[in-house]
Amino acid sequence: MSYGEAFLLGITALAAIFSTIATYMAIMERDLLKAVIFSAIQSTIYAFIYYMLMAPDIDLVYIPVAVGLYPAVIIALIKKTTREEKP
Amino acid sequence: MITLSEYFMTILITCMIVNLGLALYGVFFKPNLIKKIIALTILGDTANTFALIIGYRMWVAGVPSRPPVFTEWRSNNPLLLFVFTKTAVDPLPQALVLTAIVIGLAVTLFLVFLTLQAWKIYRSVDMRDIRRLKG
Repeated sequence: MSYGEAFLLGITALAAIFSTIATYMAIMERDLLKAVIFSAIQSTIYAFIYYMLMAPDIDLVYIPVAVGLYPAVIIALIKKTTREEKP
Repeated sequence: MITLSEYFMTILITCMIVNLGLALYGVFFKPNLIKKIIALTILGDTANTFALIIGYRMWVAGVPSRPPVFTEWRSNNPLLLFVFTKTAVDPLPQALVLTAIVIGLAVTLFLVFLTLQAWKIYRSVDMRDIRRLKG
């Protein structure tokens, strides 16, 4: 058994727990702008998980799309429509 | 006897399953269309992560696994290629995920413009209001 692998996978598991918290906040948040920001945090953590799962070439595409383009497009949509979610 | 690596891998997969459930809940039960789009992006990313977890290779005898990028192709040493194939992770799920990310971007943009059109017609992005205003 190698402790190096356990160390790296431990960091990855910790990041996964944080991503679950960010996903919960993004789904349950009433303010849509805050939900988009939580979704971007979740995407950043996913990018880190992809890097730890030995996929740095995915990161080159994933970071501009999921951290840059998705929030930008959805924030533009929120600006044109409405910000508050009705209960 | 479960090793420490398998334990952490189990935590990772469990968190991803919880994320999948949360995203499905958002897609199905949240009435706001923008919230549905956000949940759909999370759902797609989680499915991609499952594909990458399938392709991941555990360390063999303490030798670290490596990305599937072969950088020593200039030297004609077949031993380097042998070591690469024994330690690199599976590149096929990564190629599929690369395609899925771009397709997900296109689908999200399409849904964003559908939502914008619904706002222009009905002045609402709430499913309960749009369902009431038929025709």
